[in-house]
Amino acid sequence: MLTQPSPQAGEGRGSPRPLVTKKFSLTPYLFLTPALLVTVVFILYPIVAVVFYSFTEYDIVTPPKWVGLKNYQQLAQDPTFWRALKNSFIYLIATPTLIALSILLAIIVNRNLRGIHVFRALYYIPAVSGSIAIGITWRWLFDVNGGLVNGFLVPLGLLTEPVQWLAEPAYILPIAILLTVWAGVGYYAVIFLAGLQNIPEELYDAALIDGCNNFQKHWYISLPGLRPQIVFVAVISSLAALKVFDEIYILTNRTGGILDSGVTMVFYLWRQAFRLTHAGYASAIAIVLLVITLVFSMMNVRLLERGVEAD
Amino acid sequence: MAQARTITNPALAVRTRARSQISEKIFWYLLLCLLSFVTILPFLWIFLTAFKGPNDAVYSTPPQLIPRDPTLANFVRVWNQLPIGRFFLNSITVAVCTTGFNVLVTSLAAYPLAKMKFPGREAIFYLLLATLIVPAQLTYIPSFILAVNVFHYYDSLPALILPNISSVFNIFLLRQAFKTVPNDLIDAAKMDGASELRLWWDVLLPVVRPSLATVAIFTFVNSWNDFFWPSLMLHTREQMTLPVGLAALQGMFTSDFRGVAAGVTMTVIPILLFFIALQRQFIRGLAGAVKG
Repeated sequence: MLTQPSPQAGEGRGSPRPLVTKKFSLTPYLFLTPALLVTVVFILYPIVAVVFYSFTEYDIVTPPKWVGLKNYQQLAQDPTFWRALKNSFIYLIATPTLIALSILLAIIVNRNLRGIHVFRALYYIPAVSGSIAIGITWRWLFDVNGGLVNGFLVPLGLLTEPVQWLAEPAYILPIAILLTVWAGVGYYAVIFLAGLQNIPEELYDAALIDGCNNFQKHWYISLPGLRPQIVFVAVISSLAALKVFDEIYILTNRTGGILDSGVTMVFYLWRQAFRLTHAGYASAIAIVLLVITLVFSMMNVRLLERGVEAD
Repeated sequence: MAQARTITNPALAVRTRARSQISEKIFWYLLLCLLSFVTILPFLWIFLTAFKGPNDAVYSTPPQLIPRDPTLANFVRVWNQLPIGRFFLNSITVAVCTTGFNVLVTSLAAYPLAKMKFPGREAIFYLLLATLIVPAQLTYIPSFILAVNVFHYYDSLPALILPNISSVFNIFLLRQAFKTVPNDLIDAAKMDGASELRLWWDVLLPVVRPSLATVAIFTFVNSWNDFFWPSLMLHTREQMTLPVGLAALQGMFTSDFRGVAAGVTMTVIPILLFFIALQRQFIRGLAGAVKG
């Protein structure tokens, strides 16, 4: 349907600004149609539908039944929901940790050493291995009997006896956050490395002449120079932290952990919608998540634009 | 940093050289090795466990890493109980189709957003930008119902492909790439009477090929590793992709650590090979995605 020459094909001849089409043309809309269709069907329509479902009782099989604000009232009194909300906010600790460690790693690998590419690639491996493979690996790392963590800490005398890491409500969330950080550092470090390499060498020379030590050099030059990357990583990694699911699913073996200690917003959404078929109630959780994300992003959206678009 | 020291002033340069660069190099290599140990050790441990025979301890303190009685039996056992080859084929099919369609659809959409003026361009651009914020998981409830009632692709691979043939982030990356193409090039092609579609295919796509490669690689890996949506859609063993199958395997082999390790190994090796083959493009692409 797009094969015929578009109307403005010949129009460029002679006109001084050929890119500005004066006549109305369908071409740009046709180019955008497939992408917009997918966006409408799989993002915009679902948002509208979720808003509607959140006011209904819906088990996916029988048609939704309007119940007004009942789901939201129920949410306000649901301790698991509050725990999920709290856990999701705690998970945001991953963001500053990731930023600090990735910048540190970027500084370490930003030097001309033979084979440095190999090391950069090695640090990147967790980012491509997939959350499920990594999650399973970590489940066994922290296994009470065979896990490497107990296996190293007990003989070293740091633990008196093996710890049931994943059965301990206090440990589930920190272990999941640690996993997220471990898997993300190499990935974000690549972004920071590119930023470091864009900082003019003369700035560091000047700092050296002014008598800056290594730490001051990075504090006064690298950090301000990395501002666009820091903003970008802050936005991306905090949005990722708010919607964490795979790690919790695998580490707790789909249970959410003892006493729901590892339940996050998205995990609770999943359980309500797809385990218990409470699609209406789950939609209310989804709306809360959406509102939190919107508020959160509103503070950052300009920065995000600058981060993505900065040339 | 090393260069910075050597160029500034001669006195300092001499002193630096005198302070034996060799020991400094050794320090950095030690640090780099230590750090890669942190990244690699869990994988190494899983890989080695996958080869452990019945006489090797998996539960021991201090842990035994190297199998003394190496065997392939774990791989055979897992392979016989789960259609791992089928998982692999499914994953390849989904990732290749998703990537192919996605690159076409997003580069088609990115071109007018970068280079054409038309009513509603800003509105469409900001509408797309806004959807970047929406967590995908909250769209899954209606998408699930669509999959069952409208598209009828529940428990089949198209369910994984169709929702992912466009992605807003890729549109933005490619829009940036198209913006850097000189207008003269486009004008010249138009003078020759090329249609917009020809122009896009013959002139623009070859120019932005590095960006297309970046988008393709990351779309492929994301599709390959995707779990949440595929786990909702795929029910029958024969339809599962690797991550979904791996999660099922973890459920089946709960107490068989050697078997789980063999499953993880078989799943991770292909994507690791893919990464090793294309590592430069990975690193360059990611670095280019966010320019300072």
